[in-house]
Amino acid sequence: MEGLARNTRLVWRVWIFTLRSFLASEFFILTAILQPVIFASIAFFLFQAGGDAAGEQTLLYAALGTGMMGVWSTTLFGCGGAIQWHRWEGTLELLVAAPSRYDMVLLGQTLGASTFGFYSILATIVWGMALFGMPLNADFPLLLPVALAVAILSLGCLGMLLATSFVLYRHANALSNLLEYPIWIVTGMVVPLAVLPGWLGPISWFLSPTWAMEAIRGSAIGSEPPILAMVLCLGLAAVYYLMARRVLRFVLDKARRDATLSLA
Amino acid sequence: MTPASQPEVPAIEAIDLVRTYRTHTGVIRRRPLHVEAVKGVSFQVPPGELFGLLGPNGAGKTTTIKMLITLLLPTSGTARVFGHDVVKETTEVRKRIGYVFGGDRGLYDRVSALDNLRYFAELYGVEPADQKRRIAELLDLVGLTGREQEKVEGYSRGMRQRLHVARGLLHDPEVVFLDEPSIGLDPVGARELRVTIKGLVEAGKTVLLTTHYMFEADALCDRIAVINDGRIVALGTGADLKGAVANRTIVEIETFGVAPEAVEALRDDPEVIAVNMEERDQSQILLVQSERGTQITQRLLSRLGETRVGKVVGREPTLEDAYVHLIATTSEADATAARAAAVSV
Repeated sequence: MEGLARNTRLVWRVWIFTLRSFLASEFFILTAILQPVIFASIAFFLFQAGGDAAGEQTLLYAALGTGMMGVWSTTLFGCGGAIQWHRWEGTLELLVAAPSRYDMVLLGQTLGASTFGFYSILATIVWGMALFGMPLNADFPLLLPVALAVAILSLGCLGMLLATSFVLYRHANALSNLLEYPIWIVTGMVVPLAVLPGWLGPISWFLSPTWAMEAIRGSAIGSEPPILAMVLCLGLAAVYYLMARRVLRFVLDKARRDATLSLA
Repeated sequence: MTPASQPEVPAIEAIDLVRTYRTHTGVIRRRPLHVEAVKGVSFQVPPGELFGLLGPNGAGKTTTIKMLITLLLPTSGTARVFGHDVVKETTEVRKRIGYVFGGDRGLYDRVSALDNLRYFAELYGVEPADQKRRIAELLDLVGLTGREQEKVEGYSRGMRQRLHVARGLLHDPEVVFLDEPSIGLDPVGARELRVTIKGLVEAGKTVLLTTHYMFEADALCDRIAVINDGRIVALGTGADLKGAVANRTIVEIETFGVAPEAVEALRDDPEVIAVNMEERDQSQILLVQSERGTQITQRLLSRLGETRVGKVVGREPTLEDAYVHLIATTSEADATAARAAAVSV
């Protein structure tokens, strides 16, 4: 029980520290705020040009989708490079040599990155309301914060899996770029999954951003509470975390064998 | 058996530590290459001792430290910290050790020193109730009180190094590993750091220090191990090591543009034991060792011929002379052994 309290506090403090570090980084502020605002503007203009009949609902649909695109970008770059950045900065050795559990430290870091990504949703909603007259009416206002929290958790755990896997590859940055656009499309952030080819469906089921998107949109403009999407989101988060722990153990053992914890 | 009669557990113990790195050569036809960085290092450090590990670049100092602090797995051999195996009991070892290295890396530049220390305090398991007091104590110890709210990116090298020391001591470790902590510090900063290190030993900590600076090792360390090419070539107190050159005298000759032939001419003198050269900005310092009591200064100057000579000083041997002698003789012995092996093949 003491261990659980200690690890929860550790994740919490690392989460706060990571958020503060992101706030001091121009790169992440641009990724999390400016980029989704640009995407949102394009989406709003496209929907308006298409003479969309759904009107206000569609504007919110587009805002949440483009917001989630920003969330994914921040998660991908923030988490994908989490271990590598610490290696470049010379702090990875210190984190690993600390008596705390490194998987908890990494979880705090990736949750921090995914949380920071949620600035994107806030930015696109404010942008949509200010410039495009988008209303902010959530159909399930009490569920919306829960959906957001579940989404942060599941994306943080997915980020942890990405961080541990990417560190095995020297050119992980290229891999990050490669994964950005396809995930936007295959998880229904840009267009509804129903309009995509059927064979993409099973792929999207194993990606938590799909269910995170459905949970958030379902809470805001859904016809029924998105409970199933939230449960699936949490289930996938648990699977990602367990996989990440296994990969991390392998990665750290390999790093201690191959002397790759430090670049110095 | 009474506790007093029980043998004391060494703070640090290395037994035949070996570490081999695998790498490769070539781009198209890659061939594996095995580099032995540490070739059977053994030593023991009792609690409360300040132990120095001296050696040239690439001698195996940092590799040895990284095995002791659980960041590298030994290829063979064993190492323990207060009886805990560095491979099998990593958590127990990590609780007891602090690690400080020199240089600019290893800190979060975009946040304040205080944020850095709070973060690492959490990671190093400092109890929440103790964190504020402990951080204040350490800021005071390293002389950063009043500057803790500033971002680290604005810190000078000396301030960063002091912050590193504070970070390494957050959890009040029993053993502190200092890997070239004074590298790049100005003389005042280095002196302050030496005072801090002395304070650690006075507080009962065991310290393992690696450094390039002989006077630093001489001034601080209880015992020193000289490591060269992955092997310990000498181990003892500063006085023990200096004993290797105790029967010698050193003549320091400042020259400007000395030719290799002139240096060879000095080496050819029958009373000269060794000649080492240090390059300075505009000059070279020749360190000529000869038997104590010999008067060869005038003869050395005449052997230098037309070479422009500056200051000439005769002095007692220092730890640095002993170190240079040890490194030179072991490197020569290795080269001879390698040649012998090549001939026998």
